[in-house]
Amino acid sequence: MTQTTGGSANLPLPTPTVDSQPFWDACRAGELRLQRCANGHWRFPPAPLCPECWTREASWERTSGRGTVIAHVTFRRVYHSAFAPLIPYTVAIVELEEGPRLTTRLVGVGPDEVKGGMRVEVTFEPASDEVTLPLFRPAK
Amino acid sequence: MSSPDGARLRNRYAIVGVGQSRIGKVPDATALGLLAEAMTAAVEDAGLRREDVDAIVCRGPDDVYAHHQRIGEILGLDAEFSTTVDNGGASQILSIILAVLAIDAGLCSVALCGYGRDSWSRTHRSEEARRSVSLVPEEQQQGEFEHEFGLFGAAATHALGARRHMERYGTTKEQLGSVAIAFREHAVRNPSAYLREPLTMPDYLAGRPIVDPFGLFDCSVPVDGAGAVVVTSAERARDLQRPPVLIRGFGTFNNLRGWTAGERMIETAAKRSGAKAYAMAGLAPAEVDTAQLYDCFTSMVVAQLEDYGFCAKGDGGPFAASGALRLGGALPANTSGGQLSEGHVEGMLQIVEGVRQVRGDLPKERQVARAEIALVSGHGGNTVCHSSLILERG
Repeated sequence: MTQTTGGSANLPLPTPTVDSQPFWDACRAGELRLQRCANGHWRFPPAPLCPECWTREASWERTSGRGTVIAHVTFRRVYHSAFAPLIPYTVAIVELEEGPRLTTRLVGVGPDEVKGGMRVEVTFEPASDEVTLPLFRPAK
Repeated sequence: MSSPDGARLRNRYAIVGVGQSRIGKVPDATALGLLAEAMTAAVEDAGLRREDVDAIVCRGPDDVYAHHQRIGEILGLDAEFSTTVDNGGASQILSIILAVLAIDAGLCSVALCGYGRDSWSRTHRSEEARRSVSLVPEEQQQGEFEHEFGLFGAAATHALGARRHMERYGTTKEQLGSVAIAFREHAVRNPSAYLREPLTMPDYLAGRPIVDPFGLFDCSVPVDGAGAVVVTSAERARDLQRPPVLIRGFGTFNNLRGWTAGERMIETAAKRSGAKAYAMAGLAPAEVDTAQLYDCFTSMVVAQLEDYGFCAKGDGGPFAASGALRLGGALPANTSGGQLSEGHVEGMLQIVEGVRQVRGDLPKERQVARAEIALVSGHGGNTVCHSSLILERG
């Protein structure tokens, strides 16, 4: 069961900031990259300095793209018409192997099959010419 | 943690009047109009005159800039001290805390705190308005990492924690239902509550699915409505017409590092906020006679029962299912019907109800026996902010 929203004209698209633009650029290139400070701390969401040590220097490093479902919900009610065809769809908090937690949508798995602790991996889905979304599917 | 000196303010300040507006569908009033109804009622309840009020601390309707200025203009009040508070559902108790601190600092002497909203009217203007549910203006909403993944609404952010709680502790849908059913029983006895039809477990389980694990009856009910309180010194309170309700303790904690970090989805900021309030009050959870908990969703009540120490972590579901929260139970809670049934006014009506219970002036069928101590909670800012208030009969 693969769900896509790529064809939906009114999908709400992210508004990148100067801090997050590299994240979205990497997604478009098919890579999940997060900031890692000079002292080795990973962070997400994108931010101008490391919340652990306040170091400003950071690089955008490629992650494993693998993680674990921490929490999940399944939408049964339409909040936005772009998602109406997807209902029921599952939104999850995924903890990457590197530590940071991401909000994402799960694909390739039915709502009743999702469990906390499930292993997942990133998969990229174009949402527009500019934006590619990092979604997650059960790990192979 | 707070300094032990927090106890210096224990029982030095009091709530001397409460008021509320019409609750439910009130299409002929704006949010500010409803707040004005509640604030004037609170001043009248205190037996004070407009000229006695010299401070306003309130939270706005989310889209009104400098809200304290607007309500002051409507009420014809200048202020020695006034501001608008920005901590979501935790703002209402925080307003009272700020009022106490301002009075203690000598900046003012009698403060009006309150909140009003027009959620029923606002969400019934169009199909699009019904869907969007958000009261936060678009330009103030987070621009990424949320909507593009289909994550919308406060129900979902709380449901994520509810699911994790169920998977971790075995909390059941029926246990969540026992919260909604107990509070509906209370609403049936409260003539001003919005939802007063009795609710059974089959009704609850048949509720329209919203965002699993939540159905319709796990979610608070949007209403038009407002509440307000008057805060002044305990000394001044002794000369006023109502029995004073002393502010015995308060606390705050905000999980600013993020609501998904660590175990925060299931162990909320209530734990540290509550610990400070208990320390200031010099009280233990067992000494609380009634709790008025921020019930935006059923699962938040379960989590707070644990975080406030009424039961062990993970036992909130069985505790609620035991009947403890019902009038006559071990911890009568949300005795006005709560936000799940009376109507969601961002915790303001829980403060009003806590004061009324402690004053002991409710009709017999609504009154908690021997309500000397009430605990009230506030929670908001997308599950980040928390505030706690402990009230004592004066």
